[in-house]
Amino acid sequence: MLEVNNIYKNFGSLKVLRGVTTHVDKGEVISIIGVSGSGKSTLLRCMNLLEQPTFGEVWIEGKLMTPVDPYLHREVIEASNTFAKLTASGMSTDDAVHKIKEEDLLKEKHSREGAAYKKLMKELYEKNHIDVNEGRRKMSMVFQQFNLFNNKSVLDNITLAPIETAKYHHAKNMKEVKEEVTERAMTLLKRIGLEEKANVYPSTLSGGQKQRIAIIRSLAMNPDVMLFDEPTSALDPEMIGEVLDLMKELADSGMTMVVVTHEMGFAREVSDRVLFVDEGYIKEEGTPEQIFRDPKNPRLKDFLSKIL
Amino acid sequence: MTLTEILQNMWDIFIKYYIGAGLLWSGIGYTLLLSAITVLAGTVLGSLMALGKRTRFKPLVFVITAFVEVLRGTPMLLQLYVAYFIIPMLLKMPGLSPFTSVAIAMSLNSAAYVSEIIRSGIEAVDKGQTEAARALGLTGKTTMLKIILPQAVKNILPALGNEFITVIKETSLASTFFVGDLMTTYKVINGFTFQTVPVLFDMAIFYFLLTFSLSKLLGVFERRMKKRA
Repeated sequence: MLEVNNIYKNFGSLKVLRGVTTHVDKGEVISIIGVSGSGKSTLLRCMNLLEQPTFGEVWIEGKLMTPVDPYLHREVIEASNTFAKLTASGMSTDDAVHKIKEEDLLKEKHSREGAAYKKLMKELYEKNHIDVNEGRRKMSMVFQQFNLFNNKSVLDNITLAPIETAKYHHAKNMKEVKEEVTERAMTLLKRIGLEEKANVYPSTLSGGQKQRIAIIRSLAMNPDVMLFDEPTSALDPEMIGEVLDLMKELADSGMTMVVVTHEMGFAREVSDRVLFVDEGYIKEEGTPEQIFRDPKNPRLKDFLSKIL
Repeated sequence: MTLTEILQNMWDIFIKYYIGAGLLWSGIGYTLLLSAITVLAGTVLGSLMALGKRTRFKPLVFVITAFVEVLRGTPMLLQLYVAYFIIPMLLKMPGLSPFTSVAIAMSLNSAAYVSEIIRSGIEAVDKGQTEAARALGLTGKTTMLKIILPQAVKNILPALGNEFITVIKETSLASTFFVGDLMTTYKVINGFTFQTVPVLFDMAIFYFLLTFSLSKLLGVFERRMKKRA
């Protein structure tokens, strides 16, 4: 359903992601764990292109959101003469891959091949791509800092995006759409027991309430997958429970979720798969059982011993 | 001159010239008119400049930045002089009233300041607001119109109010060109009576009452805005 292929992300000279490939299947709950600065939030933000990956591709439901990466396949690079030359001069494998991609060295060397390859990629893109905004509507995001719209009431926060989406799609009967969306929003508010807050502004709510409303705001888009960026890290301890409960409920209802979290209990109980991200790579990946009971990577062992 | 004499003269001048000859109403009228034109034109132009500065079109950004820096970095009085001589020439209207030239110059000057106020107001809106809107699939335009600008306007109202008050005080510079504003009345009355300090004190009271009541009014307005969110 959601695929990221060989994602690289540089911030200036800082290499945050160095080639991450993974996929999210329908109904799956994935937890991404790792130390601060390991790149796990960046990975999540690359999935909906809030951060534009430096290289690599993001696919949602078989549609391409990023431009086609001509050097997607590492093997192509590794087979090249340039790669051999760079590694011979003492550069590490990853740095060589990075340098080739960044400076487009392969295109220089095989310009005719490169041009043909590029043309093919362009065709591929035109056939398969999806508009960024359209793609984002399929994978709404929940933030650490809630980010409810301060100038909108709770109800408007939830209904704004679905109504605007209908407008973008030139819906015929906007009045009907508005009624439908409002009704759905009220149902969702009832579900989390906050229907009496529909007309208040976010500044009057507690952190836990804000985050639960942010979650149903995402849910109101009927997304195929929900991305959670450390949803409980900015909450007071006594409010973490209510948010985690709602997330568990979502997971049980079959929602596809990708969760960047420090809540190891949640990762262990709820997720189907855990990714350990470190130094810009997925260093280990497996079921919660494998990751927490039987970690193989020394960095993961170290991380777990500190956090558990 | 004793204090009682000054007070006596202030009162006499107030009655005879400001009320009797109606200089108070015409002076305040011109001052407020000039301020209102300046603030309105300045806000419209300033908003356009602030939005222009956010585009990716480099030459436009450069021109606006240069314009703002020059207007903020040279004295207002100098700008008024330049406008006084140059604008009638540029518009090929030698009979253009000084009031028009001065109003244009003050509007451009105010636009430079307002554009910076608006730019900072937009930048002061939390980045998370944009991210949340974009992550929900809203376009850049919708995000700007429905989320960012409404919040930016709330941020900048106090600063815009201050700009209005500053403009009222700065219109006094326009008296250099005898445009009939409140400060011009000094020259008129001084010409008739050779009085200086009492006239100045009278004017100080008028200016203070104008700006003070305006700042109180803005305060009420701000509190009402705050209550709504």
